[in-house]
Amino acid sequence: MSRPEARTSSLVRRTALAAALLGAGACAEQPAVESGRDPTSVPVAERYGGTAILAGLGEIQTMNAFFSRDYVTDQFQAYVLFTTLLRYDDRLQPEPYLARSWSVSPDSNEVTFRLRTDMRWHDGAPTTARDVAFTFDRVKDPALPYPNRSAFDAWESVEVLDDYTIRFTLRPHADFLHGWTALPIMPRHILEDTPVEDLASHPFGTSQPVGNGPFRFVEHLPGDRWTFEANPDFPPDLGGRPFLDRLVYRVIPNETTLFAELRSGGVDMYVRVAPVFVEQIAEDPELRLAAYPFPNYSFIAWNPRRPFFADRTVRRALTMALDRLELVEVVRHGLGTPAVGPVGSWHWAYDSAWRPLPYAPDSAAAILERAGWRDVDGDGIRERNGVRFSFELVTNESRERGAIAELVQGYLARVGVEARPRIREHQALISDVTSPERRFEAFLLSWTQGMVLDERDQWACDRIGKPLQFVSFCDPALDAVMDSIPRATDRAVQRHLIRRYGTLIAEAQPFTFLYVEKRADALGPRLQDVAPDFRGELAGVRNWWLLRP
Amino acid sequence: MIRYTARRLLEAVPILLGIVTLTVLLLHLAPGDPATAYFNPNVSPEIIERMRENLGLNLPLHEQYLRWLRSFFTGDFGYSFGQHRPVAQVIADALPNTLVLSAVSLLLIFVLGCAVGALQAVRQYSALDIATTFVSLFIYSMPGFWLGLMLILLFSSPALPEVLRLPISGVTSIDYEFMAPAQRLLDRARHLVLPSFALGIASAAGVSRYMRGAMLEVLSQDYIRTARAKGLPETAVILRHALRNALIPIVSLLGLYLPLLFGGSIVIEVVFSWPGMGRALYNAILARDYPVVMACTFLFGVLVVFANLVADLLYAVVDPRIRTD
Repeated sequence: MSRPEARTSSLVRRTALAAALLGAGACAEQPAVESGRDPTSVPVAERYGGTAILAGLGEIQTMNAFFSRDYVTDQFQAYVLFTTLLRYDDRLQPEPYLARSWSVSPDSNEVTFRLRTDMRWHDGAPTTARDVAFTFDRVKDPALPYPNRSAFDAWESVEVLDDYTIRFTLRPHADFLHGWTALPIMPRHILEDTPVEDLASHPFGTSQPVGNGPFRFVEHLPGDRWTFEANPDFPPDLGGRPFLDRLVYRVIPNETTLFAELRSGGVDMYVRVAPVFVEQIAEDPELRLAAYPFPNYSFIAWNPRRPFFADRTVRRALTMALDRLELVEVVRHGLGTPAVGPVGSWHWAYDSAWRPLPYAPDSAAAILERAGWRDVDGDGIRERNGVRFSFELVTNESRERGAIAELVQGYLARVGVEARPRIREHQALISDVTSPERRFEAFLLSWTQGMVLDERDQWACDRIGKPLQFVSFCDPALDAVMDSIPRATDRAVQRHLIRRYGTLIAEAQPFTFLYVEKRADALGPRLQDVAPDFRGELAGVRNWWLLRP
Repeated sequence: MIRYTARRLLEAVPILLGIVTLTVLLLHLAPGDPATAYFNPNVSPEIIERMRENLGLNLPLHEQYLRWLRSFFTGDFGYSFGQHRPVAQVIADALPNTLVLSAVSLLLIFVLGCAVGALQAVRQYSALDIATTFVSLFIYSMPGFWLGLMLILLFSSPALPEVLRLPISGVTSIDYEFMAPAQRLLDRARHLVLPSFALGIASAAGVSRYMRGAMLEVLSQDYIRTARAKGLPETAVILRHALRNALIPIVSLLGLYLPLLFGGSIVIEVVFSWPGMGRALYNAILARDYPVVMACTFLFGVLVVFANLVADLLYAVVDPRIRTD
């Protein structure tokens, strides 16, 4: 949330390294033929070498995994510099990584991991079970603001059996392994003696990180770039030495400058390209777009304490008045799909039979009419009992959201509802909407999710008054469903429950769900085999290579 | 001179105190705080409370103010939670970049501004005067960031021959560490061209207007007529007698343009991805990284006060009629 790029996107950034689903791969187009050689004809042995330059609007603040707060940083930690105990394969099943195997006790109360014996920290020390135990202990330490701690709620205690075997006790949980796919293991021998409260300021994070992943740290020039180089000792059965000699991440905080760098060849990948460039990329034979669905939806929250938003049929009518397909085209340049509810099409439990509420302004108007909202005085705005259907729609200073707010204003005007868009500075907006008094009528933001959908903070009756229960939603039937999701160890049962959850929310429309975001990276002509999916763009970084003329 | 300097330095104290007070107040009034910047459902309220405690945000305003004052006097601004390192380090990394950029821009402002202004005055009402006046007014009214973006689009264009292209972002090239020392110097210089131009050119246009006026005034003086009358070559009249005297009022512009320069650097550093103080300040404000905001604002304040002092002292140096004591 700390960076300009973050402000424009999500209300909350959870560690969304992993998100689900089969068959939703990337759609990187074929590389341009104009750029010379046909990449498929280059033998594997000739793919080694070169420096790939990535650039994004946001800075990578730290390599200390206990303090990561954004999506790109998470990826550099998990896929570039460090390793995680497990990782997701491209079918989103956990597969061995630092752990070579694991076993679960019959009562599901114990998990034993056996680690690889050939993994070394880049300073030469072996990576052992004690590193894993150290990382786990810190993550569980309440004094440490680890943002993804809830993924380890079910994990209770740890016991190191020998250098390469470690046993955990836990409460049975449906998605118990998830946390380990997103948590890079940290080196105990470097960080152990640092008190928890001093960990954030330890130079390990910003100037001297030591990892054990496929790339080693070379240099960090704050505000400018991070440089990594291939780790020649990375275990061969995990892919061995990456093709690239070097991987550089540059921060270029202005999107026009960044795109100019991409076009002139100064940068090989514009990470998370702004949708406004989609058309230019399509027209330029040298550039490619690699898009992938991202677990983030944009929404309008309706404050039910206002007379107009208390009734679910009215909220549904408001949704039906909005042409969400056009909105995605205009605002996202096609990088998104209209949303049904809180469960996006990226999620494995998504029900393909779900349909968003239709765009039907006439029906919407009829529903409002039936609910008693009529334009009695003929000023074009409906009223009921002397209350005009007019409210303030507040959003942050992101250009994208400003555009949505204006479109929404237009759509609603057609059904006799007045929305007055107002731009607030992001932090100020967050203060307002999370305050117990809920100082807003309607607000427009986006929400980033993880693969594990436990969203009780947003919807459960007992969270009313807590910061994230924006719209004081309460439905005991929904509570029961949400409570059962994490307990459902059977995949089919869990799928059923998640679908039930999605359906109940979509029916009640406490939010208007606008669209699920697609993210995209823009690629220059050199960089090959970038295939982003839900794990992020860097999951396959080991296989990236540079086409040389 | 020494007494004057000492007096001016003493006068700087209340000015800097004013800056500190205003910054503390403005930050206090701004909605949100570092803890909301950390807004995340997985971070427990206890941790956020501890953050507030560490930053002294739960203290009454006057106590917070005293804490900041102490920071300013000791120079220890603590720890940047946005960047996960001490503020002193943040400044140490960013300040040299900003100073280099500002120095080069300043040079550009005065050298180019004075040269153009002098030339215009010497050739008053000529086609050259009219054309450069038009161009300088055009540049003067252009927003720096827009000019910067246009320069970026132009000098990075794939249509431009490779030799004419210039770096459009950053301080050094990616392969900087593999370069020979001379190459490194050249690389840094090339990276400076566009940002310093975008940062300085509007002010240079401004200076050229002042310079034109000052030069015209000098050229109409009796001693210039005398110089011409005694048969001095025109170049000597212009360069030795007119230019030097016309420069005197221009020196005082230094104090006027330095704050503009630092203000402009915030935008230019973002556009050109220049890791300096302006960008550090910009990011810190967005992240509510109070310690960095305080340190940067204070430093900018010190730089401006100091620059004004230097300008006034220089004024005394170039014009013997002005005595500082």
